[in-house]
Amino acid sequence: MLEGAKLIGAGAATIALAGAAVGIGNVFSSLIHSVARNPSLAKQLFGYAILGFALTEAIALFALMMAFLISFVF
Amino acid sequence: MFNVFKTIGNWIGSVFNNFRRIFRKDENSLHSSSSDTTSTLSNTNATVNESLKDLSNLQENGIGGEAYKDVLDIAEIVPSPLEQFSILPLIPMKIGNLYFSFTNPSLFMLLTLSLVLLFVHFVTKKGGGNSVPNAWQSLVELIYDFVPNLVNEQIGGLSGNVKQKFFPCISVTFTFSLFRNLQGMIPYSFTVTSHFLITLGLSFSLFIGITIVGFQKNGLHFLSFSLPAGVPLPLAPFLVLLELIPHCFRALSLGIRLFANMMAGHSSVKILSGSAWTMLCMNDLFYFIGDPGPLFIVLALTGLELGVAISQAHVSTISICIYLNDATNLH
Repeated sequence: MLEGAKLIGAGAATIALAGAAVGIGNVFSSLIHSVARNPSLAKQLFGYAILGFALTEAIALFALMMAFLISFVF
Repeated sequence: MFNVFKTIGNWIGSVFNNFRRIFRKDENSLHSSSSDTTSTLSNTNATVNESLKDLSNLQENGIGGEAYKDVLDIAEIVPSPLEQFSILPLIPMKIGNLYFSFTNPSLFMLLTLSLVLLFVHFVTKKGGGNSVPNAWQSLVELIYDFVPNLVNEQIGGLSGNVKQKFFPCISVTFTFSLFRNLQGMIPYSFTVTSHFLITLGLSFSLFIGITIVGFQKNGLHFLSFSLPAGVPLPLAPFLVLLELIPHCFRALSLGIRLFANMMAGHSSVKILSGSAWTMLCMNDLFYFIGDPGPLFIVLALTGLELGVAISQAHVSTISICIYLNDATNLH
């Protein structure tokens, strides 16, 4: 019973990844938009995009961390 | 036809089992005969067939099941992917109620410290290296040049001399997280930054330092960071609260971001490589053919982790610079 509840909880914790997926998609779609408008800035914008990607991905990993904690620690 | 496949699969499996037993460390299994292993395997197959008939009980057929445990035993996989983060005292030391043991994190910290120092020492030997740098010297120059660029870009409104004062601290933080993250990617090594004790200790001490710098630079005006200019007075109490909470949360998020990236990345690599290894040890040709799938995913994930290791060092350094900028210039 507890095992099953833990698995359900860990699975539910990964729902948060939907938000992170939207965020990462948003970062790179904005990058493509901006490069299409001004290709000469491509290099600088790519740096910003990677920074934004890393920050968004960190949020996704918080959710993954919760899933790990639920399934392995408790 | 199917039997032929099955026989080939069993044969390949037993070859792998023999390899595995050669590399295995405990004496007992080294001396056990191969027929023993084969009988265990046929037992496993029998258990799998039996449990396929009765799918009613999770405890019998799921994670708690006999067959699953047998497979884990064969593949020698510890069920928890968090096993790799355990801290072991190498030289136990105990003073009163405090533990000052020399643990594996301390060992790996010392290892990276000496590595970085040796690296810098050999490149800058005899008064500053060559005017045309070789590969190692360019690498060190790349790492060194990276930080002042960040400091100059992110911290504004100060003269070069003042910025110069912050440079050593930020540079050391950058090299610390960079080399620790990268060193954690070496198989069988220990990732120091995957413990939030260490990353939080780093970020909290930096946060305290940044606050001290802010008070030094602005005096009591530093407190005005919590109230943007031109706010109507009735709103002030709420706004102070609203600004204060995110400000304190920065210290937490700086450490947790680095820790979560390292921990989650290493755990997922471990889980996927465990799945690849279990498939290899299943003694079945179809699993053997399908095995490159998880194997390539593991390879791709390792590449991603290398990228994440570098980008997280970059990101945490940028965040520190931004916080420092906020503290010195106010907004």
